[in-house]
Amino acid sequence: MARPEIDEVTFEIDGREVTAPEGAMLVEAAKRGDVEIPYFCYERKLGPPVGACRMCLVEIEGIPKLQTSCSTPVKDGMVVVTTSDRVKEAQSAIVEFLLINHPLDCPVCDKGGECPLQDISYGWGGGKSRFIEPKRHFRKPLELSPLVAIDRERCILCYRCVRFSQEIAEDYQLVFLERADHTYVGTHDGRPYVGPFSGNIIELCPVGALTSTAYRFRARPWDVEGSGSICTFCPSQCNVQFTIRDDEKVLRVLARENPEVDDGWLCDKGRFGYQSFHSPERLRAPMVREAGALREVSWERALSEAASALERGGARTAALAGGATSNEEGFLLQHLMREGLGSPHMDSRAAGGLDSEQARVLSRPELSARTGDIEYAGAVLVVEADPVDDAPIIDLRVRKAARRNGTQVVTLSSRPGGLDANTGAKVRFSPGAVEAALVALAAELGSPRASEEAPGDSGSPEEEGTEGGLAARAMEAVATMAEKVGVRAFGGGPPAGGLDSAALAERAGADLEAIRAAAEVIRDAGDIVVLWGERVSHGERGSQAIDALLAVAGALGVAEREESGLIEIPAGTNSRGLREVGVLPGLGPGLEDAPESGMGAAQIARALGGGELSTLLLMHVDPLESHPERPAWAQALAGAGDVIAFSEFLSPGLEEHATVVFPAETGAEKEGTMTHPDGRLQRVRQAVGHSGGGRAEWSVLSELCARVGAGLELPTAATVTAGLTGAVAFYGGAALEEIGGRGVRWQDRGAAARLPAAEIPSGPLEAPPERPEGLTLGTAATLWSGEVTRHAPSLRFLAPVQRAELSPSDAERIGVSSGDEVEVSAGGERVRASVALRQAIRPGSVFLLAGTDEENATALTNGAPRTVEVTKV
Amino acid sequence: MKETKLLTEGIHEPGLHTLEVYEGRGGYRSARKALFDMTQEEVLEQLEASGLRGRGGAGFAMGKKASFMPEGSMEKYLCCNADESEPGTFKDRLLMQKNPHLLIEGIIIGAIAADAQRAFIFIRGEYELQAKILDAAVTEAYDKGYVGQGIFGSDRMLELVVHRGQGAYICGEETGLLDGLEGNRGNPRLKPPFPANQGLYQGPTLINNVETLCNTPMIIEKGGEWFASMGIDESTGTKMVSVSGNVQRPGNYEIELGTPAREIVYGLAGGPLEGRTVKCWFPGGSSAPILLDEHLDLPYTFEAMAEAGSMLGSGAIIVVDDTQPIVPLALRLAEFYRHESCGKCVPCREGTNWTVKMLERLDEGEGTPMDLSILSDVQENIMGNCLCVLGDSMAMPIGAMIKHFREEFVQHMEEARHRRNLTEVAYGAGELAGSAEAGAA
Repeated sequence: MARPEIDEVTFEIDGREVTAPEGAMLVEAAKRGDVEIPYFCYERKLGPPVGACRMCLVEIEGIPKLQTSCSTPVKDGMVVVTTSDRVKEAQSAIVEFLLINHPLDCPVCDKGGECPLQDISYGWGGGKSRFIEPKRHFRKPLELSPLVAIDRERCILCYRCVRFSQEIAEDYQLVFLERADHTYVGTHDGRPYVGPFSGNIIELCPVGALTSTAYRFRARPWDVEGSGSICTFCPSQCNVQFTIRDDEKVLRVLARENPEVDDGWLCDKGRFGYQSFHSPERLRAPMVREAGALREVSWERALSEAASALERGGARTAALAGGATSNEEGFLLQHLMREGLGSPHMDSRAAGGLDSEQARVLSRPELSARTGDIEYAGAVLVVEADPVDDAPIIDLRVRKAARRNGTQVVTLSSRPGGLDANTGAKVRFSPGAVEAALVALAAELGSPRASEEAPGDSGSPEEEGTEGGLAARAMEAVATMAEKVGVRAFGGGPPAGGLDSAALAERAGADLEAIRAAAEVIRDAGDIVVLWGERVSHGERGSQAIDALLAVAGALGVAEREESGLIEIPAGTNSRGLREVGVLPGLGPGLEDAPESGMGAAQIARALGGGELSTLLLMHVDPLESHPERPAWAQALAGAGDVIAFSEFLSPGLEEHATVVFPAETGAEKEGTMTHPDGRLQRVRQAVGHSGGGRAEWSVLSELCARVGAGLELPTAATVTAGLTGAVAFYGGAALEEIGGRGVRWQDRGAAARLPAAEIPSGPLEAPPERPEGLTLGTAATLWSGEVTRHAPSLRFLAPVQRAELSPSDAERIGVSSGDEVEVSAGGERVRASVALRQAIRPGSVFLLAGTDEENATALTNGAPRTVEVTKV
Repeated sequence: MKETKLLTEGIHEPGLHTLEVYEGRGGYRSARKALFDMTQEEVLEQLEASGLRGRGGAGFAMGKKASFMPEGSMEKYLCCNADESEPGTFKDRLLMQKNPHLLIEGIIIGAIAADAQRAFIFIRGEYELQAKILDAAVTEAYDKGYVGQGIFGSDRMLELVVHRGQGAYICGEETGLLDGLEGNRGNPRLKPPFPANQGLYQGPTLINNVETLCNTPMIIEKGGEWFASMGIDESTGTKMVSVSGNVQRPGNYEIELGTPAREIVYGLAGGPLEGRTVKCWFPGGSSAPILLDEHLDLPYTFEAMAEAGSMLGSGAIIVVDDTQPIVPLALRLAEFYRHESCGKCVPCREGTNWTVKMLERLDEGEGTPMDLSILSDVQENIMGNCLCVLGDSMAMPIGAMIKHFREEFVQHMEEARHRRNLTEVAYGAGELAGSAEAGAA
């Protein structure tokens, strides 16, 4: 379904004539007329109303009984009264009922001062209670989970948290237990409520029943102030409000609802990860290696050491940028490298390059979808990503689409994912065989690109293009062919490299029937959003895989449909922004070809190890933790003459190899912009001062530029932003004022036309390679890997421990069972893990977690499908 | 005074619960007639013409309810509400135990009227024997091809499942029943949407009481007009009445609607024991506001009971004689509703619990006349403000008791106080709150 168009209706409320969208519930519509109707159980975000609290009763002309305005859609000509004696008496009665068993311990309650129950009691209650019987008692407070404390005496049983668990997160853990006045909220099995989104129930709770263990008793509402920004922990870039105390401490993170980004929810990492900002292990001062050890030094000393190291390195310097790097920092970094040092060697991607032409094609506005489009799409195709780990809030959006609007979800992935249960079809393929799976899907969808006899070597799609408008021509071709043969007839046609669908499915290690079923679901689904994980583009054949992805998108006609498109789920928070500001070996700002093409991450590793490069600049990244080919990076760091790093924490790799370390800013200290995966420029706003005399990273980079003779006249953060939005042609000088609190998608602005021309490929797809025999290694990211979890005390219990996920049949063959310690090995490297059996894993696959503290899967990965041995220890 | 036996005619015939005996008496003729000789519209017409009103409690016209079912090819359902959980009601038990095939036939007719392909009998958990009998009868009907695929050799499908509830009163409320049937916690749902539009599994659903459905075969057989010729006003046909309480011959009686209540209580049930009088009576289950002796002369119809400020409800008459004190009765009643409140909406959950606590205190002599005002105020505050009718089901009879017997409440408190040697009447709320806190500590 497309985004519905909603008519306006006019109704009367308390004598005022008010216009509101048709079908809106009265509680919402009343706000249009500045009439406030009190409620507890109603919450728009939670979907259908339950009408449980009865607080919102109003009188509607023509209906004898009072009606709950949370569940009554407004109709044209409706006459509503909210201030009659009858309504007032009912509302006052409900408040009295609610308070009879409520402890009224407001003075010691965290919610006091920002509590809807308090506010409504004052506003609509009678002001006194006639209840003199003993109140109901529960043991309290109890840990509902390590993150959430529950006080069941304060609970008014409004259903919000239970509905969140049942209908939003769909973890089905929270339920009401018992009944009548003994009813209480708990998990169905009595175990802690742990899930990636559990913290939202704290914010949903209209009383002090659910409180954050991290925030409990830390402040009263009048001690704190709010500061809006975005979360920088993952590509979802949820809009947040930091709760700040004394201008220096972040005490809490709340959602700052932006329907086009986060829909008002946060994951627990975003909600509790702020604790890492105040970790005692955070670096507060710059450090320089002296006599083999890193020592804290003055800023001046560190800057001069870094500048001379960079000058020494010159064109033999390379840089890596991690996902937490802002657009401003990325822009200055590439300037420092290209203009200051004359080095083109920089990369913001961990595994494998991105073809420049493809980067531009993928940025084309007609191929990109808005996050909000997911909700109204006919189908969502998820390719090699598991949103719950890669960009959790996207997972909630897909669930919402499926639950409320009947969106069909199709997953195409090597590893079973959190959305599988919601799918209309799922395709599981061998790790690393995403290209074959996509080509097979394209063939089944009747893509002409997979249907022509293609010589195996005609790889570069650009050759096929001649001029602009090729997209339209490709589509025309699809249409004509479809007309001639009938789209469905393509199912068994002669596809890529002379391989038919069955052969392609075989190369993907996927079930042909599953691919057919997936094609069937998405073929005529209307608007389609394709969520694809950055992993698709990783490895040696990333470019061919992207080409196949574009063929699938072409066959689905996403370019022609307004609300269809692709959204990449990148590996890093600001991966998209870093690409667009030019932190890629071949691309400068604005996706223009860089004057000189440089080395990508994998080549940088080898060149450092081999002595071709001498100096490495690391922005928010430790390649030993995040990059494949860990052994190569170990050599590279050991071989590098100078390693200059910007980091919040001293990882073991930096501790051993860094020569200069600048303390990095936290998400709450930074000022700048980031680009959401759907192209939305968002502001990262400084919420607290730099602790311990720290300096803004943009200014450090700017200073380094100046010291190596490439100074920019950009004296403030805002001017850097202006500099970069000017340099990136299609950002078109978007000003901070314009970006504002909700962000702005560059594709929606006129300047989007300045995207360098790139033609949607139309040539035949290559034949995907055969997949290796044996147990193939796949890696998976978890939401909980990384520094944030490690350094936020509340979250530490969630830090992942390496596990080898196996199918039961492989486990039986190898002779291991769940929980056994094993060694997964390849090419002489080994990773220890405990076995986790998963029924849904395709036999022949084994998955390890990437980004764990220890026993990181990156020890075994090399960017190509790799077979491994699993042996019991 | 004699009963008008239509539903219960020959109900004690041995073996009536078997298909053979039932069919031998002419059973399943109406189902065949409705299926082969009548269109869905004609069946609906007869049901509407009969004026048959729901026998479960709400008294909504059955034909009208069935006609609300939307047309279309979507999956539609029929649910027979056999939860019979209203205190004092035991008529459906008799029908199901003795004549299960009558119900099955009624369900077939109801399903034709509603164009439903699947039907469920939601029977209360405590009715184990009746569930077994129904199960056996349904099996027989399946074996004969009367339910299942292609019933009676036609191309109509009707799957019939007997589902046993788990003993919650609230599952007798139609939407609570649906939630329970779907395997969820049995909580009432918000209405609208009404079940006829969005009921079981979101499909249009017709929900009818056992007795209601049992009436349909004879309406199909003899015509709606014949049925409507019995009774008065909008109360047509006969009604099963479960009489209990302080009467000499408690039990189920079938009467023509409009029979004076006195004839039921005294004529059929024998009235209270010799020398006692009727103090009050519940005309339609424990949720119905109590009526007094004078109201016994009213005709037993939906209209007359409503006019007197009560309701005919499920047709369960509970008689209270003059030896029964009112306060323990009120307390027992309130306790039942507190126990059965699902806890979903605030006025019911908190109001029932507050009412019980106050009545307990009153019963122990720790109340004041002011408490009576609060008590009746609380009932007022519950009424009409709840999600479903459970809250009202307590508030109405308790409210009526205070209204009719206020003096007795006061007297009861006084006596209890003297009995317990409580010399001080705790008028001050603070003092009581203090003692309550001490108690809690």
